[in-house]
Amino acid sequence: MSRLVKKSPSICTDQPLDNADIRNKLKLLEQLLRSCYGPKARLKHLHNNIGGHVVTTSASSLLLPALSSSQPLIHLIKTSIHNHISRFSDCGLFAAILCLSLIEHAQQSGLRRNRVIIVNKHLLTACITYLQQEDCDCKVKMDFCSTQSLLTLAHSIISSKPACVLTESERFHMSKLAVQAFLLTVPCSSPGTLHFGRTVTVSVEGQCVLKSAVFPGLMVHMPNDFDFSEIHNPSHPLKVVLFSASLAGDLPELVDRVMEVHPGVDTDSQILELLLDVCKQVVKDDVKLFVCQKVIHPVVQHYLRSHGVIVVERLGITLMEPLTTLTGAQPVAMLQSAVTFTSYGQVSDLSIKQFGDKKLLHLQPVGESAISTMVLCHRNETMMSELKVVWQTAEHVLRLALREPSALHGGGCTETHLAAYIRHKSMNEKAELASALRCSQTEFLRGVDVFCRSLESVAKSLEHDGGNSYMDLTYAHHWINPADSTQDCLQSTLGFCGCGLLNSSTSNKWNHLQKEHAEFAPASMCRNNPVQPRVLDSFTAKLNALQVAVETANLALDVRFIIHDVN
Amino acid sequence: MQECFLLNNQQHVGLQKLSALSATSHSFLGPIKKYKFIQDDTSGESTLVCSSFRIIESLDLTCAVGQLVYETLRSHHGVYHTGCGCLLFLAGAWSRAALECLQKGIPVAHIMSAMSEGMDVCAEVCRKCAIPAESIHSVMVEPITEATAHQIDGKTLNIRERRKLKLSRHFFQDSTQLPPTRQPEFDVPQIAKGLHHGSDISMKLAIEAFRILSDNRASTFDISKVLTCMLPALPEHHSTVVQGCIVLLAVEQALIARRLEEQHLNVALIMGDLSDSYRHLGFTRPKGLQRISDGVASSSREEEWIEAVVSLLVKLQVKLILISGRACENVIQRCCRHQILIVEKLKPSVLMILADSTRAIPVTYPTQLGKDCIGTGAKVTLWKEISSPEGKSTAAVNICSGGDIRLVTVVITGCVQGKLPILEDQFWASAFRLHNALKDGSVLPGAGHTEILCVHHLLKVVTNDQRSKRNPYTNVVLHLMADGLIDYISTVLMNTGRFSKVEARTIISQQVQNYREHPDMLLGVAQLLHLEGGATSPEERAHLDVYDNLSVKLEAWRKALDLVFLVLQTDAEIVTGVAPETDAKQQT
Repeated sequence: MSRLVKKSPSICTDQPLDNADIRNKLKLLEQLLRSCYGPKARLKHLHNNIGGHVVTTSASSLLLPALSSSQPLIHLIKTSIHNHISRFSDCGLFAAILCLSLIEHAQQSGLRRNRVIIVNKHLLTACITYLQQEDCDCKVKMDFCSTQSLLTLAHSIISSKPACVLTESERFHMSKLAVQAFLLTVPCSSPGTLHFGRTVTVSVEGQCVLKSAVFPGLMVHMPNDFDFSEIHNPSHPLKVVLFSASLAGDLPELVDRVMEVHPGVDTDSQILELLLDVCKQVVKDDVKLFVCQKVIHPVVQHYLRSHGVIVVERLGITLMEPLTTLTGAQPVAMLQSAVTFTSYGQVSDLSIKQFGDKKLLHLQPVGESAISTMVLCHRNETMMSELKVVWQTAEHVLRLALREPSALHGGGCTETHLAAYIRHKSMNEKAELASALRCSQTEFLRGVDVFCRSLESVAKSLEHDGGNSYMDLTYAHHWINPADSTQDCLQSTLGFCGCGLLNSSTSNKWNHLQKEHAEFAPASMCRNNPVQPRVLDSFTAKLNALQVAVETANLALDVRFIIHDVN
Repeated sequence: MQECFLLNNQQHVGLQKLSALSATSHSFLGPIKKYKFIQDDTSGESTLVCSSFRIIESLDLTCAVGQLVYETLRSHHGVYHTGCGCLLFLAGAWSRAALECLQKGIPVAHIMSAMSEGMDVCAEVCRKCAIPAESIHSVMVEPITEATAHQIDGKTLNIRERRKLKLSRHFFQDSTQLPPTRQPEFDVPQIAKGLHHGSDISMKLAIEAFRILSDNRASTFDISKVLTCMLPALPEHHSTVVQGCIVLLAVEQALIARRLEEQHLNVALIMGDLSDSYRHLGFTRPKGLQRISDGVASSSREEEWIEAVVSLLVKLQVKLILISGRACENVIQRCCRHQILIVEKLKPSVLMILADSTRAIPVTYPTQLGKDCIGTGAKVTLWKEISSPEGKSTAAVNICSGGDIRLVTVVITGCVQGKLPILEDQFWASAFRLHNALKDGSVLPGAGHTEILCVHHLLKVVTNDQRSKRNPYTNVVLHLMADGLIDYISTVLMNTGRFSKVEARTIISQQVQNYREHPDMLLGVAQLLHLEGGATSPEERAHLDVYDNLSVKLEAWRKALDLVFLVLQTDAEIVTGVAPETDAKQQT
């Protein structure tokens, strides 16, 4: 019996941004992400409704995937921010907050949306042009002659996630390690194409953060004890064989198929024979280290060990690539043919390192290899998982800095500076620009205000304890006044600006952030200022985040209808 | 679809939950503990618990804070086996402190920086008042406090006292006078006496285990060589320590064991199960394997396999098989016929030790066994026979290896079956306390001494502190932190049953006050209790010395503070997943 159900018509939402429900949702998302921004952020517990594992975090790379929504607009924003994070690791929250804030301010301004979009596009280009200029005032050149700026960059990233619960000395230790690991991955001098090395991370829970360390070479877990006395400090390199095929002695490709065998035939022992044949050859070829990505049959392990071979099984797919690079071995994927001589690799030394109760086998390359291992230690699982996220971001950002050797002032100073610069520039050229963009001067200036307020509001969300945000009217840097101090001694309570470049004696006029003030040209910093900023942001990541945020906001503002098929 | 709870900052729900969770374990603090029953309403089952870790483990905690707490306790218990009560209590006490700070309108960042500062003060106090383990001797001089070090300037110091003093920074320059470094000699029984923390019997067992393992000479306690065996139906005072590995066997197996007594046995070690169908971990069984039989049904494959295994064992003259998994019934029976003893369900770590001492190589499949895998010199002795009223008797058998590597089994007995796991936990706690003390090489004055010193120093920072312009709230926060510690000691005191909470608090405050005026007159909880009983002479007091573990205490405090920080900084809980019949994206 068939049954016909009448299709219900699709639901069309006209002007989705005018819809109160959607606006509320956007507002909520904005609040949520704002509260996660910066080193003093509030954390979020993430878990599913069936009592799953709890993640405590303020990192956008974990938060955004957890926020699922049936609302297409939110989905759109989420996806584009997520794409940014997967490419650059950093500045995800910046992009998300700026994007949502642009939408919000555009709504409040009452301007026509296409006007806002045109102005936004223009201002984005202006920002990018300015940031890429040599004399941009919120940019510092990365000086690779000293580690200072690299350390500052790494330190800013490591401090940005409070769920790591690190003390100052631990933060410093971690930034030192980040720079050290980064330097290990930079190739020294080899002719031809240069390749970046890789840092593999191994995490050890329950140990003090200060025990974390970086080692050249690769560390793999070593479950069994092995007597190293005979192979320690070998005079010549040790031969390595690497299997990507399973050596468990089963027939995984036959799992779903039917095979008919004679009762007298023992498939298991026949496969084992085959495995042992391979091992006999390997032993004959004087291999000292036998590594398999998957499981190795215990009989095979036993055979190899009794012939003085070190066996490592269940290496996992993630370590296969670095191990291939380190040893130069070709992973063997087939058992049917003999292992060719060219597929063997080499290591120069093996040793055991102990971290807490974990034993790690340390493999050292024969020549110079760009593989290094970072052993991350932390007291508990929650803080460890956040530390891993931060660590990966730091690693990525340092690498980006090599491509574009600049960094931006952190602590909200870039945002306020950029806003002041844009306000000033637009005011000066309002007549030409307005006519070029085909809008009235008032519309243009209100559009500029939307853009600048949004930028400033990102800087403002760095403070979560009720303090006030200020901007000085000389250099346009960002300042935070703690909630408990009074207005009359502003100069003495402000201390340093967000990026730590200026102290409160350098300026004498402050304005509440986002409060009306006469536009001004931000003064240029002295070029050979001996003081270096204490907080730096990644240039490449922030530039891209700015672009993503403005373009996504424009797209969202451009949406006229949402058609939802409810069938 | 998710729910998003925005928590009101003034009434931080997370901190309240943390404090509530911690309250469940108050009665487990201190030497005199009370048991708790945890009952499952659906199944009607109940468990008896007597430690903070076990209670959190047994409660089915689905909330985010609960999981954080469990995760922290699990990792702490995994490493130290002791100190979870202190961790959980202080997490609760300090979360109440943080809550009070929030209610006073102190910003989160300031609370955190002040609390970290407080933690640094406490860590410094612990480092200063730690007593080197080698200075602990049966004849104690006097309880060591920081102040005693300053007072004895003028006297001629004997070596032991001088070593004590090197912990004070005033004497630290004086390196020439220090004795050359040598293997420290510890008076282990005396140290252990101070570490029993109310579980006297289990500490005696731990001392005995240490004695057998090392003849009292070593300065470390190798806990990996200690096993426990639980023997129900015997009174608790029958608990004892035996050299070797004690296992419980069924009566048929025990008969074989009796025949094998007084012999040097060949031994095979098997990691995994002893059965035809067992395959190693990671082996995928082919599902579609069909055996096409040609009609003549010969003996089954299992029979063939057993036959092959048994004849191999006989050929290798194996008399004892130790397995980490289980053996199938048929194999056991066949081995019985050949007088081969099978011992199942041994811990892999025990197998590894036995492998070391008998020079056997553990294998996964019995078919792997060859001459080189067989260990020699194992001995089996019938240790005790236990008959139960149902007629099903068991026997405890001792497996010894001939080598010089010793293994010790602590046999824990008890009439109440449900209490055995608690007794086992208590033994491990005592053993680990001793182990940690020897590993640290120093101990902290216990019975609340350290906490009172910390309180004193925290309050001293509060009164001296004029410098902290940066954080105007340090004083308030440190005061509340010190309150948390006072709360801890007074709960311990209250749990002894002699004082009410208010009386206990008063006594502790008086102690802190006294210490400020007469730094050498500090009394611990144990002495306070004894004072009530009438004993006041210093010698008698010295016998009551109680110690705590340095690293465990510091780590527990640190972890408690980590928990508070994580929860304090969290303002929302995001629950993901599809809620039934709810299409709303977020509900505030």
